[in-house]
Amino acid sequence: MNHLARTIVTGAVCAVLGSGVTGWLVHTDGRARGRSLSLASLSALPPEGAPARVPLGDLAGAAKATMPGRLANPLESDPGAVVEGERLYKEMNCAGCHGYAAKGGMGPDLTDAHWRYGGTPVQIYKSIYEGRPKGMPAWGRALPQRSIWQLTRYIETLGGSFPTEAYHAGLQGDLADERGAGSSKSPAHGDSGEGAGGDK
Amino acid sequence: MASASGNATSRSGLIVAAAVGSIFPLIGGYAAYTAYSNPAPAAAAPPTSLTGATADFAPNDPPGEWKSPARDYANTRYSPLRQVDRSNVARLKVAWTFSDGTLYGHEGPPLVVGDTMYVVSPYPNVAYALDLSKPGAPIKWTYDPKTSPIALGKACCDAVLRGWAYADGKLIYNLLDAHTIALDAETGKEVWRTKLADVEKGVTMTMAAFVAGDKVLVGNSGGEMGVSGWLAALDVATGKLLWRAYGIGPDTMTRIGPDFRPYYPWMRGKDLGVKTWPAGMWKTGAAATWGFVSYDPKTNLVFYGTSNPGPRVPDQRPGDNLWTSAVFARDADTGMAKWAYQYTPHDQWDYDGVNEHMLLNIPWKGVRRDVAVHFDRNGFAYTIDRNSGEVLVAAQYAYQNWADGIDLGTGRPIVRAAMEPKIGQKLQRVCPPDIGTKDWQPPAFSPRTGLVYTGIFNLCMDLTDHAVSYIPGTPYDGMEMVRYPASGDDWGGFIAWDPVHGRKLWQIPEKFMVMSGTLATAGDVVFYGTVDGWFRAVDAWTGKVLWSQKLSSGIVSQPISYTGPDGRQYVAVFAGVGGAAMVSADQPGFPARGGTLYVFSIDGASPGSGPGMMVTAAGAAASQSDETQKGRH
Repeated sequence: MNHLARTIVTGAVCAVLGSGVTGWLVHTDGRARGRSLSLASLSALPPEGAPARVPLGDLAGAAKATMPGRLANPLESDPGAVVEGERLYKEMNCAGCHGYAAKGGMGPDLTDAHWRYGGTPVQIYKSIYEGRPKGMPAWGRALPQRSIWQLTRYIETLGGSFPTEAYHAGLQGDLADERGAGSSKSPAHGDSGEGAGGDK
Repeated sequence: MASASGNATSRSGLIVAAAVGSIFPLIGGYAAYTAYSNPAPAAAAPPTSLTGATADFAPNDPPGEWKSPARDYANTRYSPLRQVDRSNVARLKVAWTFSDGTLYGHEGPPLVVGDTMYVVSPYPNVAYALDLSKPGAPIKWTYDPKTSPIALGKACCDAVLRGWAYADGKLIYNLLDAHTIALDAETGKEVWRTKLADVEKGVTMTMAAFVAGDKVLVGNSGGEMGVSGWLAALDVATGKLLWRAYGIGPDTMTRIGPDFRPYYPWMRGKDLGVKTWPAGMWKTGAAATWGFVSYDPKTNLVFYGTSNPGPRVPDQRPGDNLWTSAVFARDADTGMAKWAYQYTPHDQWDYDGVNEHMLLNIPWKGVRRDVAVHFDRNGFAYTIDRNSGEVLVAAQYAYQNWADGIDLGTGRPIVRAAMEPKIGQKLQRVCPPDIGTKDWQPPAFSPRTGLVYTGIFNLCMDLTDHAVSYIPGTPYDGMEMVRYPASGDDWGGFIAWDPVHGRKLWQIPEKFMVMSGTLATAGDVVFYGTVDGWFRAVDAWTGKVLWSQKLSSGIVSQPISYTGPDGRQYVAVFAGVGGAAMVSADQPGFPARGGTLYVFSIDGASPGSGPGMMVTAAGAAASQSDETQKGRH
């Protein structure tokens, strides 16, 4: 495919998704191929803004968080979501920071049970959507919600994430042992190598 | 771990013997070697350099001070101090220590000016002044510049800082979030702050600011982020930007004009920083500047290397990709380029050209040549005429298998086609990997031996390239790698190099990478550290390990030596593993991070410490007298 054709295809896909993806895909080398929209991938998403109501910290005054438990990944039974999420993981340069094996590098390891900002699906969604202060970009303006849920689905398959209803268990450290915490002795040893690693 | 040290020592002995036998007769230094093989400093005759190489040690700072990372403009890292020598170095013990409270890779050196030591941490780049005239070197002042945390996720290779500079009563250094600041050295107050770039676009700054006269030279990191690379000159007094020269783009950006005369014809022509790229690709082509700068006051030229091209995947950017993985010589006043030389055209392995250029003067075919000595990450050590850009020597100094050599007629490497990666195809056993046979860790030179000393790597990689898109603020990278030792299980080593003849005289094998800077001293002792935390002193003539001390973390910093207010010679080095050394973090025995400065002296003596001493408060006089205090308080 020549450069012009690639650009046209890329533009067309952007239009179909109705996303905020902009000119950066001009340099894309054939990344648009294989993208398809199945019926399953059109399953209903939570109302826009719902994840924003999930708190980031623990709850003051012994309140109970019920919202996170109701926010399962809407694509958890979508067979194409993991594949699409993995493709996005590479295409959006997530792999550049977190490693092609997601074992960390410039950014943290996504396969272990340490989640500074939470490891339930909606908490992972929020980290992608909102960005995080140590250099994790906010993708909520660049990617449609569906893509972020697909990325979340992919990360859920890497072994470190928490069950949907585990908001409090995760905060209280009850899930670390069974998820292999401590098996990773270094914060930065992914294939991209040398980065600050740090907390996700 | 003690056995590991002993093991390395005995193995190095074997290699030294072999190297001495084969090399010394060739260069006529055997008499000098035998004279110095048994230390007897009082009776020793003046040494005879093994190579004839010399250096200009301008700005000729007082022998006991250390005001810039490399100590001199030429980047020799040579200390003229000789209280610590081969006869007593084994008595070095810890005099005092200092934790800066941070755990990212500690790549920078402390500075010593007068009675004060200055220390700057990795991110968040906190500066400390320590009073060497008082027991325990208490903190005089501290300054936290509140560096933006977003920079943590934009720095490819850990949140490091490779040092800083003292000039005009100021300490000048780069913040990871792409600002340069100057502090008043007396008070620790910020004098000026200059924003150089937008960290949200992936631009960080990790290099040591370098002062030449009234200008401070700084450059950017971000070779993995698709940035535009540059070197900028700021006014030392005000921080005002004087000029900025890019590593990519049209001649107006790269500051190439009529005075630009590269030695090799293929680097001559208009706008090569644009024409050697596919259309528009130069704009994300990197050529960042994160290594050390050197300066020749006679010609007023500064020398520095440029980073890899972006993206790291070569299939996406056919062409030579000038001026990436190259060296520039520029006029310090104007920034205009005098010459350039590209080490690795169309860099396909992320070899960069960013490593230091040590300025030496060598005898060459009967005449003196002013040269720059450069250990490239690509496995070759270059000795280059620093006035013309002609490569005099390009010889392999560590294991590589990507090239059959450097063609000195054209200046181009002879690339093995089988080692060229293709998108989506796993390429096995490419040597060295991205971090090279030696990364930024700087060598040292001794004018006594005429040798250059440096830590090296012994590594290969399995490489799979992935096509990547440019998304600002994210990696423009695409290299998936597994790295491993090239042979045996030694990840590193330490070598002595003859820059005139392009020969390695000896090598000390090391199980872990050697990623520290090197310090050479007039006591004929050379210091370096390993990634697993051994700090060693070796005989500058033979490479015999004379002393080793295990520190609390791996050593990826730059040792220095200074004279304290008490007249003693000290050696100081940070332990705090990080940076590119983290590629070996899965190696058994790899240490945890740290951030502690160790200061050594003979028998560990220093004001206020030692038997019978009791100091009750920072800065208080010792409560009991000790001979270490005589004449002090």
